[in-house]
Amino acid sequence: MFTAAAIAVLITMALAVTRAILGPTVYDRIVAVNMFGTKTVLIIAVIAFLKGRHDLLDIALVYALINFIGIVAVLKFFEYGEFSRGGRGRP
Amino acid sequence: MEAVLDILSWILIVIGGTFGIIGGLGIVRLPTFFTRIHAAGMTETMCAAPIVLAMMLQAGWSLVTFKLAAILLFLFLTSPTSSHALAKAALHGGVDPMATRDPEEPEEAEG
Amino acid sequence: MIEPVIDILLLAFMIVIALAVVRMRDLFGVAMLFSLFSLLSAGVFTVMDAADVAFTEAAVGAGISTILMLATLTRTARRERPRAKGVPILPLTVVFITGALLVFGTSDLPRLGDPDAPIHQHVADRYLQRSGEEIGIPNVVTSVLASYRGYDTLGETAVIFTAGIAVIALLGLRRRRPRQERKTDGRDALGETTVMPTAGMADERVPGRPEKGGDG
Repeated sequence: MFTAAAIAVLITMALAVTRAILGPTVYDRIVAVNMFGTKTVLIIAVIAFLKGRHDLLDIALVYALINFIGIVAVLKFFEYGEFSRGGRGRP
Repeated sequence: MEAVLDILSWILIVIGGTFGIIGGLGIVRLPTFFTRIHAAGMTETMCAAPIVLAMMLQAGWSLVTFKLAAILLFLFLTSPTSSHALAKAALHGGVDPMATRDPEEPEEAEG
Repeated sequence: MIEPVIDILLLAFMIVIALAVVRMRDLFGVAMLFSLFSLLSAGVFTVMDAADVAFTEAAVGAGISTILMLATLTRTARRERPRAKGVPILPLTVVFITGALLVFGTSDLPRLGDPDAPIHQHVADRYLQRSGEEIGIPNVVTSVLASYRGYDTLGETAVIFTAGIAVIALLGLRRRRPRQERKTDGRDALGETTVMPTAGMADERVPGRPEKGGDG
């Protein structure tokens, strides 16, 4: 049954990659990368169940958090041109 | 009991997979940027939650279930926040929110 | 039975993304595609049972590397300049010959995971046999990295620390100094007018005058 889940998530990942390559603006690519990140969390959890190695779930947990932090940092760049207001950078 | 859990897991995985593929089709086919955020947000909740719940049902009461519950909690807390941040950044960056113009030419944002 | 399929699909996605990276001119999009590429390689490492490597790849490649690339791109141009027309014959020939030599060289390597490979004969055997009683950590990878080859890890940590300090120094991610890094026309980085008491430094808000002092 996790085979079916893995195939469904892989199809969704393929569609997200399509949008990342096509997307005319850079924000489309950020949406695609964000979606791909949560799908990666799912596929790693499903692989952990398929192989029987439950310690691979830690990777999924870590990546769920890093995905969020990464996307927010990227968006801060695009909005302010720097990491924090008042640093050195162009808006 | 095992058969009931298996049937429930199958139903949840089918629901999750269907919504995931629908969301993926949405992100490719929807016309403008702000509509694509809807599709991405749908996959983050309606695709992730049923699949993780199905895995929790298969794992029983163990450490694995708590790790999966933590993954689900983090996904639910962070997905709406990142969708909102993305929409705000795009709006400030100059992406046109109204879909009344030709949807094939969204305005390119300058960084 | 599903694992080779997952492997093949992830590697196929990596090839597609690599081709897209080469063809794309918008460098911010290229940085985002690099993030996807790192995620896919983290997935491939997970399928190969390498949990530590997958951790590191997901954390560093998809998170930090993307942000550092974007930070660098704010200092340089956003779009790649178009290349001159025509096929570059000499570089193409050199690349093909080097690639062919490398592929020919890999035909001599042992199969992945072969127990008779030379790398598995000498110390690796002793690490696997004696790690439990000599070191006591359940994970053999950790015991090799932290104890048997501890000096190596110390060197690597020093290298990475130096690299991190160098990147921070280059990108200038410093704490803001309030009166010395503002633009001279009285606006801060968001374009809003700042109202700030300038006791004793009243010359700073006059547009056109150069900033006095400071190490901006």
